[in-house]
Amino acid sequence: MRPWSEALSLACRLFLAALYLWAAHDKVWQPAEFAGAMAVYDILPLWSVNAASVALAWLELMIGLLLVSGVWVRAAAAWAGGLLALFTLLMLWAGFTGAGFDCGCLPGGGSHPAGFEAALRDFLMLLPALWLLWRPGRWLALRPL
Amino acid sequence: MPVPRKTPSLAAACGLILAAALALGLAFNLVMPQGVGWLPPWVSRPLWQPAGLPQAAALHRQGALFVDARDPSQYKTARVRGALSLYPSELKLIYPLLKDTLAKAPLVVVYGRSRSRFPAAQIGQFLRGQGLSRVYVLQEDFAAWQAAGLPVSTPRRRSGS
Repeated sequence: MRPWSEALSLACRLFLAALYLWAAHDKVWQPAEFAGAMAVYDILPLWSVNAASVALAWLELMIGLLLVSGVWVRAAAAWAGGLLALFTLLMLWAGFTGAGFDCGCLPGGGSHPAGFEAALRDFLMLLPALWLLWRPGRWLALRPL
Repeated sequence: MPVPRKTPSLAAACGLILAAALALGLAFNLVMPQGVGWLPPWVSRPLWQPAGLPQAAALHRQGALFVDARDPSQYKTARVRGALSLYPSELKLIYPLLKDTLAKAPLVVVYGRSRSRFPAAQIGQFLRGQGLSRVYVLQEDFAAWQAAGLPVSTPRRRSGS
């Protein structure tokens, strides 16, 4: 890979790592609050909300840790991209239904309303994940896939 | 001669990441005090009593106070006749205003059910925690109450305004 391509991969990796670690911190540490934030969407059945919220929070943490350390970068990018695609669709749905509540995706409740703006934000953050899937890079990576 | 490290395929690596996340999440929630259970405590360890539609209708006839735990917008559209509005997101703000009325009620029936939440159970648990002794939670949703032809209030529209 050319140096500029390696540099871009490293920048994408660190950006996504920071994003996922930041997003996961509160969700992992305060699982009841995150379960409540997920329940607001009223999509999942009651019996699955807590389990799904715990799984999602720890998946985000794993993605962040793998990306920052440069281990299995392509697999972590696949999860990161898959989740961001899912979140984009979820935000579009929230926008069309006029939900208006906090999206629950990032720390700072109330400052990130679910809707079209959040869908655009998630879609833009999907692009670095797609780049990493194509070019995971090797700079500062312990074990890229 | 060094043995080359075997790298898992993309699908296998994705599966391992998911498995690790599930295992760590489960362990954390089992060990840490802030961990969540399979269901919220107001569902897994209820302090309230469940009430089916016929029982709730009978309680309504006997003068039970009904509490609507749905969002205020739904309450404004239609509600059980005589019901008060008390919903989880602003519980601490609204409860002091309704405290005396609720304390005087012989028994309370809370309703409001949705797919991911059971706000009626949450409110019912809260009211029991506040010292109310006879708290029932309707096991059906408001639509079932309405469909059964039970008493409902819908606000009248003002003409000419």
